Amino acid sequence: MAVKEVLLYPDPRLKEICSKIEQIDATVDSLLQDLVDTMVAAGHSVGIAAPQIGDTRRAAVVDVAKSKLGKKQKNHGLLQMVNPEILEKAGDQVVREGCMSVPDYTGNVNRAERIVVQFLNREGQLQVIRAEGFEAIAIQHELDHLDGYLFLDRISSLKTDLFRRKQK
Amino acid sequence: MQHFALTIIGRDRPGIVSQVAEILYRLGFNIADSSSSILGGQFSMILLISNPAISSKEEFSDAFTPLEESNLSVFIRTLKPGGEVRPEMAGELCMISVYGADKPGIVYQVSKELGDRKINITDLNTKLIGDESRPVYVMMIEALLPAGVGIEEIEGWMTELKKKLQVDISIRSLIAMEL
Repeated sequence: MAVKEVLLYPDPRLKEICSKIEQIDATVDSLLQDLVDTMVAAGHSVGIAAPQIGDTRRAAVVDVAKSKLGKKQKNHGLLQMVNPEILEKAGDQVVREGCMSVPDYTGNVNRAERIVVQFLNREGQLQVIRAEGFEAIAIQHELDHLDGYLFLDRISSLKTDLFRRKQK
Repeated sequence: MQHFALTIIGRDRPGIVSQVAEILYRLGFNIADSSSSILGGQFSMILLISNPAISSKEEFSDAFTPLEESNLSVFIRTLKPGGEVRPEMAGELCMISVYGADKPGIVYQVSKELGDRKINITDLNTKLIGDESRPVYVMMIEALLPAGVGIEEIEGWMTELKKKLQVDISIRSLIAMEL
């Protein structure tokens, strides 16, 4: 129940592989609440992962419904995810991403267009959802945090990739 | 601390970056923002550099003689105080693609329209593609729209320009997803 400080790279916790949550207890419930509070307080954010607030357990929240880009598309509103896993990926999309933990830098990242993701919700029930577009990007970005990946590890092109294709 | 802009250009070959970086490293320079790319057969580097112990370019310009001797051109610009800091730039970032049969004036006429409207170009790439008999010009512009200028408005006057220049122009928002 608190807005936490968002860790900035090079904090080593951002590069850790987070540990699986064995049981959804009160500490997990308050972690999810802190994530939601911090995401909301960060105004522009559409998601945040536990390591970004210094907790290296596999939890993340995503909510694209409030964002300018995300609300126009099909989405699930607030997702509170414990032990999330992507089961299927399809399609390709390139989007310019930025991250609260890596300020002042954005880059073009290749992400799957559609995903099927499985997770335990805040009540501990197993959920499987299909996400696409911006919501799918946000989920992939946040899940990367749980494995110690930053969007910097995913940048697919410098500036306009038109010029980077193979030449004759 | 005094900052300098260093520009290096020459026929592309492997090893240019390391040659430049080694000189800077040995002199104790820091490299801040930099951008390097191949243009045609030329490799070009632009770097912002600084060194706490160096305040004028005369103190280190001789160190680049080996580069000049290996056919690279070197230019050093002394920055005014604060010239190394990127100013806070508000506005919506957008990408403008311009392409069509090559002809004189594409860069000028498009950039003039933008400049006249105080639209700041933050990145610009052009490339001549296609074969010699039918050259096609491609220009990609990243630009910052000032408050109150919308994409629809730009599309409006770009329509005129498209007809005049006989090129295709499209513009789209480049809002980064902040996650």
